[in-house]
Amino acid sequence: MPPKKDNFFSGPGIRTRTARALLSVGALAVVYGIASEIGRGRLPDRIWLGTHYVENVQLLPPYPSLAEETTFLLESGILTSSIAVSAGRVLLGLLLGGAFGILLGIATGRATRAEYLADPWVTFFRFTPALALLPLFVLWFGYGEGSKVLLIATSVAVVTILGAHQGVRSVPRVYLDAAAALGASPGLAFRKIVLPAALPHIFASLRIGLGLAWVTIVVAELIDARMPSLGYLLTLAGAYPRVPTMVVGIATIGALVLAFDLLALWVHARATRWMRRTA
Amino acid sequence: MRRVPTQRFVLGFASLAAMVLAYTVLSNAHLFRPEVVPPTQEIAVAFTELVVGARPPPVTEGDMHAGHHGHSSAHVGTLLQQGVTLQDSLAITAARVLFGLAAGVPLGVLLGVLMGWSRRADDYLHPLYVLLRSVPPLALITYVMLWLGHGEAHRLIPIVYAVAATMVIPAYHGVRDVLVTYVVAARSLGARRWLLVRKVLLPAAGPALLAGLRYAVAIAWMTAVGAEMLMSENGMGNLIVGGGLWASRTQTKADPAVVIVGIVTLAAAGWAMDALARSATARLTRWVR
Repeated sequence: MPPKKDNFFSGPGIRTRTARALLSVGALAVVYGIASEIGRGRLPDRIWLGTHYVENVQLLPPYPSLAEETTFLLESGILTSSIAVSAGRVLLGLLLGGAFGILLGIATGRATRAEYLADPWVTFFRFTPALALLPLFVLWFGYGEGSKVLLIATSVAVVTILGAHQGVRSVPRVYLDAAAALGASPGLAFRKIVLPAALPHIFASLRIGLGLAWVTIVVAELIDARMPSLGYLLTLAGAYPRVPTMVVGIATIGALVLAFDLLALWVHARATRWMRRTA
Repeated sequence: MRRVPTQRFVLGFASLAAMVLAYTVLSNAHLFRPEVVPPTQEIAVAFTELVVGARPPPVTEGDMHAGHHGHSSAHVGTLLQQGVTLQDSLAITAARVLFGLAAGVPLGVLLGVLMGWSRRADDYLHPLYVLLRSVPPLALITYVMLWLGHGEAHRLIPIVYAVAATMVIPAYHGVRDVLVTYVVAARSLGARRWLLVRKVLLPAAGPALLAGLRYAVAIAWMTAVGAEMLMSENGMGNLIVGGGLWASRTQTKADPAVVIVGIVTLAAAGWAMDALARSATARLTRWVR
């Protein structure tokens, strides 16, 4: 049992919390630095990959070599253009899949018949790993941009359908009855009651979809694998293998996911400002 | 009471049947090339071939196979040559998924409970968790391979990682959002440590944990198949992309019939696992409401 001052009943203020966060992230950075210095020359640099050996592998690239790699990737424009291309695909897929999923989810939430008709398909796609669709999409929509964006859209749509559906369903019946008794038209009730009530669910599912979209892009960018794209950058780095490139690529994707997620949280908070929050 | 489930079943079944029928008609109408949109019967043939597996071709079957020659594609041929069957691939993937759950769930729950319970642990660990969670599991796979070599471990680690990262959130909120009154009341009645965890925290966090578990099951399947597509010589992901080493796979031409068989199988398996998780949830949280 933690001491009384340190549980969630009463806690230290925001400054202590920030200090602690910085301390732990800083500690991790320092530990990595030390580990990479110790590892230099001690870790194996020749690695058996099951079929062949790879040479000159830096398992833990020290900071200078990471900095060097970042500078190179930035100066050559590889990193920036890769970020632009991959983020563009994620956004486009998110937009398409989100629009489709939200509309369908609202429809199935409002009309029971639509729900029954859509149910087997939603279940089917829910349990189909979107990545498994990749070879099929390549055949049907070609090697180009279409398959990648559609694959992302599919994985986003599946979660947003469920989110929008649950959101619409979570509206208490009493609200709708009260609105109807006061003479609100179905359209007005939808705009003023159903949509605002469903919004938190929809945003929650969009955030999940965002995470899935970034998982999907890493694999989707193996089709018609071509620079610039972050997925291919990682694959290429893995094929050589060039660990500093790999680490920079992984860190870049992580930072982008984090940034997108914070952005989504911020939009969510703004869009639902009218709600009273307990936490 | 009885009418609604019936309507649900009828409409759901009708929607499935209509789509399959429409697909059958369209795929047989010579509008598309069969290598792109395989007719339904060829998908069925691919299914049986993959279930029955490789066998020495009897002489009499020569004629029968000639008819399906367009279908018994290089993809199916390669798979059968390697002794791959649908059920074996599914068993391998399911084993990976189960391992990922078995190792990842306790890990994630432990971290989530720790962060939810102790403010100090939350302050220190949450930023690290957010940083780690942001990295898509499959992006790590090549790096992990360098450390662990091209073996089973480096395919399993992304699955464990994905499951653990998923389970942290429900465990965290499950513990954190326990009404303060409950904890205070239990404490003032003298409940300590183990009793408090067992009688207050676990029951309160249970529903959130189980809901998270269902989500983690879906994530585990997705990661397992993705890892297999990229880096494995067996399992459903390998079946779908059709053998060969990961680097050369971008060029392989997958047979859509095999892909569809694989997708339907995966959906069925995922659904079955979810149904299990759902009934476990219903049983374990019977006391709710």
